Amino acid sequence: MCGLAGVARHEPRGVSVETLDRMAAVLRHRGPDGCGRYAGARVGLAHVRLSIIDVAGGAQPLGNEDGSVLVVYNGEVYNYLELQAELAAAGHRFRTRSDTEVLVHAYEEWGTAMLDRLNGQFAFAIYDRRKETVLLARDRFGVRPLFYSVAHGDLFFASEAKALFASGEVEAAPDPVGLDQVFTFWAARPPRTVFRGVHALEPGCFAVWRDGALRHGRYYELDYPEGRDESPEALPALDRLLGSSVALRLRSDVPVGGYLSGGLDSSISCALAARESPFALRTFSVTFDDPRLDEREFQLLVAGQLNSRHFVRAIGPGDVAAVFPNVVWHAESPLVRTAPAPMYLLARLTREHDIKVVLTGEGSDELFLGYDLFKETALRLFCLRQPQSRSRPRLFDRLYPYLDPRGRRGDFWRRSFLEAGPPDDPLFSHLPRFLLTSRIKDFYSADLRATLADVDPLQELRAALPPRFAAWSPLNRAAYLEMVTLLSPYLLSAQGDRMSLAHGVEGRYPFLDHRLFEFSARLPTQSKLRGLREKAILRRWARHVVPPAVRQRPKQPYRAPDIPAFFSPEPVDYVRELLDERSPARSGLFEPQTVAALVQRCRTGAATGFRESQAVVAVVSAELWYRQFIANTAPSRGSLAPLPQPDVALEDGVAALS
Amino acid sequence: MDESAILTRTRTYVRDTFLYMRPGFALGDRDRLLQRGVIDSMGVMELIGFLKSEFGVVVADEEITEQNLGTLADIARYVAGKRGNGGRTGGGGGEG
Repeated sequence: MCGLAGVARHEPRGVSVETLDRMAAVLRHRGPDGCGRYAGARVGLAHVRLSIIDVAGGAQPLGNEDGSVLVVYNGEVYNYLELQAELAAAGHRFRTRSDTEVLVHAYEEWGTAMLDRLNGQFAFAIYDRRKETVLLARDRFGVRPLFYSVAHGDLFFASEAKALFASGEVEAAPDPVGLDQVFTFWAARPPRTVFRGVHALEPGCFAVWRDGALRHGRYYELDYPEGRDESPEALPALDRLLGSSVALRLRSDVPVGGYLSGGLDSSISCALAARESPFALRTFSVTFDDPRLDEREFQLLVAGQLNSRHFVRAIGPGDVAAVFPNVVWHAESPLVRTAPAPMYLLARLTREHDIKVVLTGEGSDELFLGYDLFKETALRLFCLRQPQSRSRPRLFDRLYPYLDPRGRRGDFWRRSFLEAGPPDDPLFSHLPRFLLTSRIKDFYSADLRATLADVDPLQELRAALPPRFAAWSPLNRAAYLEMVTLLSPYLLSAQGDRMSLAHGVEGRYPFLDHRLFEFSARLPTQSKLRGLREKAILRRWARHVVPPAVRQRPKQPYRAPDIPAFFSPEPVDYVRELLDERSPARSGLFEPQTVAALVQRCRTGAATGFRESQAVVAVVSAELWYRQFIANTAPSRGSLAPLPQPDVALEDGVAALS
Repeated sequence: MDESAILTRTRTYVRDTFLYMRPGFALGDRDRLLQRGVIDSMGVMELIGFLKSEFGVVVADEEITEQNLGTLADIARYVAGKRGNGGRTGGGGGEG
């Protein structure tokens, strides 16, 4: 796992070593084991490396036999051994054992068609010196990030936006529409980001820079060709796919650990890892002081069964507040939940125990309909089909068992679901969440409201849905919306890649093997959500793998302390300063008097609901984000140690790369 | 406490809790709280907590109805009814 950055000029005026080193230095956390660069007349490439495969030979930028193709790459191509054999048979000569070199030869052999053959999580840039092109590409589900910007006619790209700004040639300015998307969907919707003129390459896409222009292409589309009945072959197929997916994700020259939440998905990935791995498995968990958030009982149960070496980081409200400024720096976006903070601390714990690769369970809830949102969607449809029924809405009382039981029953509660949106709206499944999140906008300043007067993020999303969307079943539409609005831009980035790579830890996602996704997309809905039982086929499969108590427990959402993290009851010092209406560095995004009223309600303990807790997290994170990236008034990051001596230092005129 | 005093307190609570960030929002006593987007499913829970702490009224599951909690006026009538008869029975229906 690594970080990459680069510049492609529209004229051959050179990319300086200093520019490349500045861009690499701010990505150092992603790759503390080494660095390298190529500085040419038109193109410059920079790389920081976390050594996982071919620790001795995998330094980058890495080239082909004659140095005419160069790559910088972040991620893993798990089927690299198979591709290497195929390419060697076609006459390609390999100098290393690394998956990086496979990319170079795969590009030579197949061009952009190579992307269909890769099974992995990756973002890379390939510079073809003969054609004077740069190919940017990103994996199917957006596990690894890639941002770019075109400034003054030149292309800048990097694993994180902060490296673009470090070039000194890309300006950091807010994008109000991107911010408005965060306060609707939890994250900006790729290709948009919260920075004006900075774009995220979309998952499953590539772009080619040639003659000063960037042309885009897509090589992978999500599709749901749902079957009518579950084939008798489904369960054996699931077994083979999960086994294969985990086995591929254990390919590593360093030990692989596991994140263990205590839920079904991480228990499965850890159990399979323990079975397949040549190393004794180490497992890592967070626990919470607040018993409503804590899952330690189940974590210990699984760790005991796997006989893993289990490590725990206990999280209290003060821990969240202490790391939150760093969390925002790495997430590079305002947030509406504090949930990334414990993930940041979990990655730190993992790294402290010398593990830099972990398996983790994300993706399963999207593939196998695990979230309560899917049940809620099914129930709303069930009730709306017979609006006169008095018994059907009672099923809502079985949703959200972890919420406060006061008021979680009765006609009034049920009606709130039924009035949340019409079933013919493409966003039907997600309207309750989108509308609840949008309540943050009640705190917008008059200026921001005026700027966004003609912007409708829901309408833009409706217009961006693929043509096939309408043909999918309502629950597959919901699954698609979850994949594109939340999984990739939030869970895998702000809560995933950015938190683990803050500490040089690579997350690997067995459920996000595209073969497994395609398998799940063909299953009939009832194989996934059977009545109100989520992940049905996965539970059946897990019978002999996961302890019954874990297999049978209902889905527990992962949450972290929010208002108590920042108010106890007085605000922690930096929050007091951030939210002070006299603060000269204020972002101007929010109305000072309304925020002052919110602060007052937090101080008196009156603010307890979702609407206000998400508003507090949104305002605190947005003010941190603004100071760190836009106003540059945040304290120095302190992590910008000078780069070490580069392992690779190339310049134009170097014909052969040894 | 009579029904109009309950109404005044509830109106203030709803304004201070759900509408302080929407200063231009005009809410009538007979406006439907759910339909006008004042209260959502999460807000119902907060409201019920308020009725207990402020008026000592414990809302039974079967009393969480549109009829009892749909508008400010409905809430005042329901709470006054509960308090008036010692809180032993619901102040007005519910589907049960």
